[in-house]
Amino acid sequence: MLTLIYGGSSSGKSAFAEDYVCRSKHRNKYYLATMDAKDEESKARVEKHRSLRSGKGFVTLEHSVDVYEALPEIIQIDSGDFSTDATGPHSVVLLECMSNLVANEMFRDGEINSADDTVEKILSDIKELNNERISLVVVSNNVFDDGNEYDVGTKNYLKALGQVNEEIAHLADEVYEVVVGVPVKQEKEA
Amino acid sequence: MVLVIGGSYQGKTGYARDNFPEAKYFNQLHLFVKKRLSELKKPYEILDEIREATKEGTWVIIADEIGNGVVPMEADDRLWREATGRILVELAKDATEVHRVVCGIGQRIK
Repeated sequence: MLTLIYGGSSSGKSAFAEDYVCRSKHRNKYYLATMDAKDEESKARVEKHRSLRSGKGFVTLEHSVDVYEALPEIIQIDSGDFSTDATGPHSVVLLECMSNLVANEMFRDGEINSADDTVEKILSDIKELNNERISLVVVSNNVFDDGNEYDVGTKNYLKALGQVNEEIAHLADEVYEVVVGVPVKQEKEA
Repeated sequence: MVLVIGGSYQGKTGYARDNFPEAKYFNQLHLFVKKRLSELKKPYEILDEIREATKEGTWVIIADEIGNGVVPMEADDRLWREATGRILVELAKDATEVHRVVCGIGQRIK
């Protein structure tokens, strides 16, 4: 099961994503954080998100690149007796946020990867995570509607993120756009 | 209170006038937030002020969605974007109806 939750900055998409995950029954709930917080503002954002989800029973996993590496950690934790709700059939992984993951994969190890390579790498990792033992919920960001012209590096990033969003929406069972905190379910053609 | 949101120049005000002709309007809320932030008001104070101003009678609050772009370079712009987004999320909870306008066409989402 794959769900895409999409929305602008401060649109309430995280709060909706957490509610969405907490509403359904799962063995364990994982929060897969992709932000590589280096500066104070990013660290403050991480702290804010952490406090917003505290008490909701998430296990936090941090992978700013190579998100497929979360899978063995999840399998190991699930195989122990740590279930927060053992009645659920699967565990759920809330991946937040795709906009950070695309930036981290594109600009990694001092190199700049092409948009195509970045998209291919991320989709391959996502497909690995989206297996039968896991429900995967991906949060992604609408950064596309400001009408500004950007330099070629930023354009490549926008292209990669746009394509990842499109491909994940295509694979997803459910797609929501969150607007001022209101989830708008996007009907997929059968 | 009714909240009408959408991108800039999407016909939000015309849509509001057509659908809520008897209401009072609080237009350009995103710019109001920017002005108050420049006066060093906190987001929750701004939200309180908006709630107080729209307490009596039937109000339509109209705002641009400004969060759907690349992260701005300037810290003040990032703060404005976040404060506007958070305030709109709270106002949407208060609202009896939320409408989103795209190309002059409104969709009721709440």
